[in-house]
Amino acid sequence: MAITKMWTGSDKYICDKELAQAFHMARVIGMPLLIEGEPGTGKTELPLQFAEDLGAKLFVYPVGSKSNVEQFVAKFDHVKYLRDSQVEILNAQREEKGLENRLSTGGRNTENLQDYVLKGPAAEAFSTPNSVLLIDEIDKAPREFPNDLLYALSHRKFVMPESGEMIEVSEENMPAIVITSNREQELPTAFKGRCVYHYISFPTPETMHEIVQKHFPELNESLEQKCISMFYQMRSLGLDRAPATRELLSWIKYLKSFEEAEALTRVNKVEGLGVLIKNQNDMEKVKARIFGKSS
Amino acid sequence: MFDQLPHTFRKHKLSADVRTLLQFRNAMNKGLVRTLGDAYYVLKGLVTSAPTEIGPFSQAFYEHFLGIDIRKGEPLEDAVTRSNAFRGWKENFSEEELAEIPSMELVDKFLDEVHLTTFDIQRVLDGKDILKKDNPEMKDNDPNGGEGTPTDRPLDRMADYRDVPLEELLRRMREVAKQQKGKHSGGDHWIGTGGVSPYGHGGAAAGGVRVGGTGGGKMARAAVNSRDFYPVDTKALLKDDNIDAALAALKGIEEGTAEIILDIPITIKEGLKQGGIFLPHEKEKVQQKTQVILMIDNGGWSMSPYVTTVQKLFKKMKTRFSHDLKTYYFHNSIYGGLYTDAARWKFEPIEKIIRQDKNYSVFVIGDADMAPYELSNASQESWTELSKHFKRMAWLNPMRESIWHTSMTCSVLMRMFPMFGLTPDGIEQAILEMNRRRKFGK
Repeated sequence: MAITKMWTGSDKYICDKELAQAFHMARVIGMPLLIEGEPGTGKTELPLQFAEDLGAKLFVYPVGSKSNVEQFVAKFDHVKYLRDSQVEILNAQREEKGLENRLSTGGRNTENLQDYVLKGPAAEAFSTPNSVLLIDEIDKAPREFPNDLLYALSHRKFVMPESGEMIEVSEENMPAIVITSNREQELPTAFKGRCVYHYISFPTPETMHEIVQKHFPELNESLEQKCISMFYQMRSLGLDRAPATRELLSWIKYLKSFEEAEALTRVNKVEGLGVLIKNQNDMEKVKARIFGKSS
Repeated sequence: MFDQLPHTFRKHKLSADVRTLLQFRNAMNKGLVRTLGDAYYVLKGLVTSAPTEIGPFSQAFYEHFLGIDIRKGEPLEDAVTRSNAFRGWKENFSEEELAEIPSMELVDKFLDEVHLTTFDIQRVLDGKDILKKDNPEMKDNDPNGGEGTPTDRPLDRMADYRDVPLEELLRRMREVAKQQKGKHSGGDHWIGTGGVSPYGHGGAAAGGVRVGGTGGGKMARAAVNSRDFYPVDTKALLKDDNIDAALAALKGIEEGTAEIILDIPITIKEGLKQGGIFLPHEKEKVQQKTQVILMIDNGGWSMSPYVTTVQKLFKKMKTRFSHDLKTYYFHNSIYGGLYTDAARWKFEPIEKIIRQDKNYSVFVIGDADMAPYELSNASQESWTELSKHFKRMAWLNPMRESIWHTSMTCSVLMRMFPMFGLTPDGIEQAILEMNRRRKFGK
């Protein structure tokens, strides 16, 4: 059975109510969950933490501009197939000559084409009930990629190359599929129609407080307050690339390595801002508006 | 009442069809939809596909299920206050209570109830063990039942709805709809008799229990009132599938390499047939790349009537060829180069432009109509240089085709470039022409 009980986060991850519900719904009706949202808001973390928390097997497919369905589903290893067939001939010749030692094919049999199918994360996930499959940053893929997945997503099956073996999964055993996107390109409508869509909205300061607490339970209260308020102040400046949760956490991680008083002075002295602001224009803006300095 | 659902969504320029209904039905059968708040979440997941659709979606949802009709530019609170659903709901409160609660808070309460989900109920129940006890009243859904006793905690009845069968839920939802369409009748209250909200009559609002940390009301307000959740301009929504189809055809011109590579699968298969003698088999390498250059005439008043059409095409191109799209700008004609920014500040000489891969598909968008002296010899040479380098080049003209020949400059340029109208048809023809050139170019 697929894991269909509501999951609201673990001791390391806060899953807000809306996300929890969308994820739950996707799992119950056996559709993939497509998450969009600002970078650094925990899109990728969701399936990772979910799998870890529930001890489910996780399969990850990071998408790049060269991604294709072959890598994602399965491909036939022709080279190995060739090698093994050569080995068979060689072994037959050796036998004729009465030689004892044989070359091994590693348990593979050229008669059995399935032995040469290298399964990708999708095929693996579909043949493992209760698993979790993450397709990370699908917007980086060539246009054909999402379209090529349509059939598999709506019929829940893949056909293996050459061997013709069919990997099929019932709606109940469907792995929890999470797809993330940064909206670098629009996904095809037909593809979106087969997913449950969720847009992660940016956490409120209260939620952010909880998130920081989860990551740094022993963090000094005043330092945390100061960091969070400054963080939201920066976000309100209308920067080109506003810092997100990930940046805030790295910043706090950096500050934490100092004594409390020193950390506070460091905050005031604009140190370690490079973690938060990643663009020269933005940096100048922040320095001018928040710290009242012009560089 | 669900038959009309896709229609309502489509009215708000969202994509919804029979499949949406089937998926929603599936979700209901799986027990995901037990409250109106659940319905909101489930439909949101199924119908929306971009943050800018959440606003229209919420509007459509309120309209369909609650009869709340939000006028253009109106904040959600006002629309809610106007609606029959809200007025009916308000009758749960006594005069004194109403006087005490600020009206905004009341709207919030209303919205919180509307958006109450099974998840919220579960959370409250988990927190309060006592309430998990079975209550015989729970089976009885009489809207007037249990009204009296003040100790009757609304939470008891929350759980109630979790066992309501699908058909019953549908029936009730239908009743709600009917009620809203007809005149608001006497003492009936919307949620009470409609009973979609698990609170039932009076509900937790009267009992003073606020559910969950983040109320649904706040979230809903953000969705409807915030600009972030609307398309920038609904009128210009890019739903023109003709252009999409035409651009899809452009994919056909991408595979134009003459590179030959070893075909391993065939080599091995054939080799095995030959008893282990492997002769190399070759195949043409297929490139999965489409590179597009767009040259836009964005200067002067003559092009201004076509700005929206050009923008539309530009956006389409941008989404389709996000990685491989280059845009240049010019005014009327070109003189030794083009500009890389719309303000036409950054100049790029032709020599640099034609250093790029000749496999780029180049679309020139402009009316080709200018004063004759503007299309000077030097300018014509610049155009020729481009057309010599880029084999797949087409001109898209937003003017009506019948008047092209009346412009002298246009006739000249028509002889240099294949020219097509800036319409889905024209784009398609331009692409067919490019594809044809590819074949001959080989």
